[in-house]
Amino acid sequence: MADSAGAPRPSSSVKLVLLGEAAVGKSSLVLRFVNNDFQENKEPTIGAAFLTQKCNLPTRTIKFEIWDTAGQERFASLAPMYYRNAQAALVVYDLTKPTSLIKAKHWVAELQRQASPGIVIALVGNKLDLTNASAAAAAGGNSEDEDEEGESGGVSGGGDESGDARKVSTDEAKTYAEEESLLFFETSAKTGHNVSEVFTAIANAIPETSLKSTRGPGASNAVSRGGDEQRVNLTGPRGDAAKDSCAC
Amino acid sequence: MESLGEKPWDVVICGTGLQQSLLALALSRSKKRVLHTDPNDYYGQHEAALTLQDAESFAAKYAASTSTSSSEGGEGEEKKQSVLRNATVWKPDDAEAQGLKFPRAYSLALAPQIIHTKSKLLSSLVSSRAYRQVEFLAVGSFFVYEPAKDGSVPKLSRIPSSREDVFSSQSIPARSKRSLMKFLKFVLDFESDDQKPLWEGQADAPLADFLTAQFKLDDDLKRYVVALTLALDGKVSVASGLAAINRHLTSIGMFGPGFCAVYPKWGGLSEIAQVACRAGAVGGGIYMLDTTATMKPSVDNEKVSLQLSNDDTVEANSLITGQETTVATKVISRLVAVVKSPLKPLFQVLVEGSPPPAVAVVAVSSAPSPIYALIHSSDTGECTVGQCVIYLTTLSTVNSKHELEQALSMLVNAVEGDESASPCLYQLYYEKAFGDKASTTENLGATPNLSFPPLSATLAFEDSDLEAVKAAWGLVLGDEADEETYLVFEDREGADAEDEVYE
Repeated sequence: MADSAGAPRPSSSVKLVLLGEAAVGKSSLVLRFVNNDFQENKEPTIGAAFLTQKCNLPTRTIKFEIWDTAGQERFASLAPMYYRNAQAALVVYDLTKPTSLIKAKHWVAELQRQASPGIVIALVGNKLDLTNASAAAAAGGNSEDEDEEGESGGVSGGGDESGDARKVSTDEAKTYAEEESLLFFETSAKTGHNVSEVFTAIANAIPETSLKSTRGPGASNAVSRGGDEQRVNLTGPRGDAAKDSCAC
Repeated sequence: MESLGEKPWDVVICGTGLQQSLLALALSRSKKRVLHTDPNDYYGQHEAALTLQDAESFAAKYAASTSTSSSEGGEGEEKKQSVLRNATVWKPDDAEAQGLKFPRAYSLALAPQIIHTKSKLLSSLVSSRAYRQVEFLAVGSFFVYEPAKDGSVPKLSRIPSSREDVFSSQSIPARSKRSLMKFLKFVLDFESDDQKPLWEGQADAPLADFLTAQFKLDDDLKRYVVALTLALDGKVSVASGLAAINRHLTSIGMFGPGFCAVYPKWGGLSEIAQVACRAGAVGGGIYMLDTTATMKPSVDNEKVSLQLSNDDTVEANSLITGQETTVATKVISRLVAVVKSPLKPLFQVLVEGSPPPAVAVVAVSSAPSPIYALIHSSDTGECTVGQCVIYLTTLSTVNSKHELEQALSMLVNAVEGDESASPCLYQLYYEKAFGDKASTTENLGATPNLSFPPLSATLAFEDSDLEAVKAAWGLVLGDEADEETYLVFEDREGADAEDEVYE
């Protein structure tokens, strides 16, 4: 499905923030999405905390500006500036750790109070590779097999079965996601299972009306968070403009 | 959770005020181990942006009218005062019914300073790539309040501040125009050897007198010109007044036509502090909000020990703090008011191609004690649509609070004609003390401790406030400090690379 040589599709930037307890795999999901890469035993996030990745839809291209937390969630040091004016949020929990779902619910509530109205929120249970369901996923490999409905069978009660570390059932999280109108996925950043699907689903769920084209002069900095015409570009006109309009 | 106390930190920064945060940004690529704490659960400290809930705890915390905190000493003992005091909040009983929204719909900026486009703060944000995460809005027109005279109603007059502006102005008589033009031409060049002799001899004299004597400006024009200095001191001197007007004029047009200054959306300098902290975190710094650090008696002389409020103990090779008390040489009073009116007439686009302004500046009263109002539209994200936030500032006297309240209603009346249609929904009042501008450095054993002074008591950001940040940076890095690399960074991976397209 390579981009054909025809006319470029309209392109829009979308600010997407990652939220969730420390060590649930937020950065790993992004790393898988952006670089198709996975690092075992990754250190807590430092370094890359702002990544971009384009996602081509049939009628348009979405450029995700992905804000990673830079590890500031570790001591409850994330502040509203991080998620306000975001158009999409990925709230991640670790499906082997029930407390991480509680934390995820807190973030969802916070977003619903504080973030832009109409923000698209996806709830993502990560580390599916640590559960029995991963066997099927790894064997299947193709996207046709990766319907999350199929994975929910028989794991509603928690992970006593050997090799299954799952502690949050698909049903529980899915029901919650439906109540709150969230997109819902179970993923494995390690195997890559369902990762691209999350971002594609978010891209599809962003209402067309909240997007503005970012093509055109100076567009790379003037992203679509409303009121673009108001935004002052600090790398913008100097010299000439200064001569034109100052009093000298 | 990692152990915080295992290894000594290269630097512990206490407080996330603008200067501490810029230091964290400056150190973000240095490989130094940085622990950055703040006693509040929000960023920015004295430069924070407060929700109405935050504003209430702020008012409770700084309610005291502390005049002295150490007065026992005899002569020579410095009288140190708390930087913030006399804080109160107020709202009408039926504020919600009148239109006050939920507390978190508001961000009241403790540092609403405008930033001139020429400011080194902006060039540092660009060179350090931190600017990408801040949205800057244009500061629009400057006005002076005209009281009612000869049966006319009070109104706001816009100050023409560029040559085009003066040419096209209808309200200035031709003769005055010529004088004003002459002055504007002079001030653009006032530091040149040609012009210096004209003013150097009276550098410390009041600017207003100089304007009369040298340029024969009439009273109206003098008020315009003096208002542009944004000086809170009614007797602004020739030297500092000319410098301020020069900055104003030469800043116009730098990032687009028609504006001389910008303002960060969502709460002013608070936003810059947050972005700088974020850069610190991206660089590997550890952030702890809602955490106080207190000095512990040191066991050895090498490092300072700090007790954190979460019971951890950490050691620091250097310690950076902010001054909470000061020997006050100047105190300002500020009234922050949420008003139920967008005050639209103040935010018009007057120059083709200029971005719609989000901030207006009004000199409500002039000498002897000027009162300035910075008016923020809802585009700043500080209030909801249909309202605006007004920041009134004056030098503190016993009557300041009352005077600011009066100025507020005069201002709203002058714009709206009738104040009752646009009532005040919320008020925060406080006083802030300023002392010696220098940062203080002392040694605790072998550990240097640098403490930042409060930011300047001005309405526009002063570049001189950045000097202490650089000093602190040099102190932490020691021999490794390379001036060339100060706040000059490459973009982080992925920030603007040509990305591959994902199908």
